[in-house]
Amino acid sequence: MNETALASAGSDELFRKTLAFCGYTGYAAIILFIIGGVWLGGMLPALPHANDLPSEVVGKVSENLFEIRIGSIFMIASFALFGTFGAGMAMQTRRCETNPGFSYVQVVFASAGTTIALLVAFAWALMVFRPEIYHPSILLMWADFAYFLALFSVPLFGGWCVTIALPIFLAEEGKEPFPRWAAYVNLWAVLLFAPGQMVMFFKDGPFSWHGVVAMWIPFVAFFVWIAVMSFLMVKIANAEDN
Amino acid sequence: MVDPSLAESKAQANSQIPGEAGIWAFVAGDLLVFSVFFILIALGQKEQADIFNASRETLNLHFGIANTLLLLTGSLFVAIGVERCRDSHNATDNRWFLLAMGCGVGFVINKVFEWSAKIETGLLPVTNDFYMYFFVFTGIHLLHVFVGLGVLTFLFQISRRANLSSRNFLALESGAIFWHLVDLLWILLFALLYLL
Repeated sequence: MNETALASAGSDELFRKTLAFCGYTGYAAIILFIIGGVWLGGMLPALPHANDLPSEVVGKVSENLFEIRIGSIFMIASFALFGTFGAGMAMQTRRCETNPGFSYVQVVFASAGTTIALLVAFAWALMVFRPEIYHPSILLMWADFAYFLALFSVPLFGGWCVTIALPIFLAEEGKEPFPRWAAYVNLWAVLLFAPGQMVMFFKDGPFSWHGVVAMWIPFVAFFVWIAVMSFLMVKIANAEDN
Repeated sequence: MVDPSLAESKAQANSQIPGEAGIWAFVAGDLLVFSVFFILIALGQKEQADIFNASRETLNLHFGIANTLLLLTGSLFVAIGVERCRDSHNATDNRWFLLAMGCGVGFVINKVFEWSAKIETGLLPVTNDFYMYFFVFTGIHLLHVFVGLGVLTFLFQISRRANLSSRNFLALESGAIFWHLVDLLWILLFALLYLL
């Protein structure tokens, strides 16, 4: 970790606590998604499938109505925390810049990413709002909408990772906002998000929005990325505390 | 010309892994994901052996061999370039990276011809699972080649410098490792898609 940043921030207790808070919100986002999206909400693994008939989607949703509704609440709470998580990384990047640059770009990506993620939860919640009235194809469309928001938005989330990696690579030696290996993790995440764009072309198999390549790999990579960056923020904050 | 810090890093070279630690994490992560791709191809081969064998017959092996040779030659040029920069750096070392970029561009052109020929004969990703894997996995690999060309451009720029710092040299090694990864992934894809 860069010693310049540690030394300069040693006197700023509020910054240190804020950075730790932002890191912990990343962890919280993961836990809330596991409860809401994995355990209750049926988003991962996908309860409806891209190749399901509308009537099959209605059947699956109706059988799990209560769980998905509760899961949607957890999911929107999880996704809202992307904002604080992203702000923490931008803060840490900003303190290593003489004039603001990549930190501002990160804020834009984090804001847009949080908005898109919130819409995922909105779409998921609307799918179970009144399925008894909706035409079955509308339920399928809400599911399509949710997964397209999450997976087809590769340039947004990929761009976010790139703007975290670049200031690390471009920083003077010893003045990196995060360790250099974190830049590689961010670039690795970009490559893993990329197959998400395949959802446009396939409705069945590993490249569809319920498949292993287009859904599982980007989703797992995304939450691993959050875990790694959260760990680093908390570590930096703790190091400065000591 | 080699600066003292580079000489020091050379002295430590035998006791350290080449490149930055982060690039190895990247390589491991990427190999992990490609392992999933390889398992999918193997499962497809097991479950739809007739379709996969028949489809494989329609691939032009010459394109695959040419691409393999291009990438292997490119890797050789990169390795020579890094070696020259380390041992007796001078401004002409950049030509090795330029040659490697030429191999990468050749790979892309060859791939365009191969894909065009397939598409013209009506073989598309929707034709069957074999062609779905063929187009998508070689497409994802092609994305790596484009990134690799960007990395080689960066290495070319670094190697033009009269003096190389230890950090420059670390960047050279890390970039070379990425290009070797692109090479390795292609060899595995080539074996699974063209030769199995």
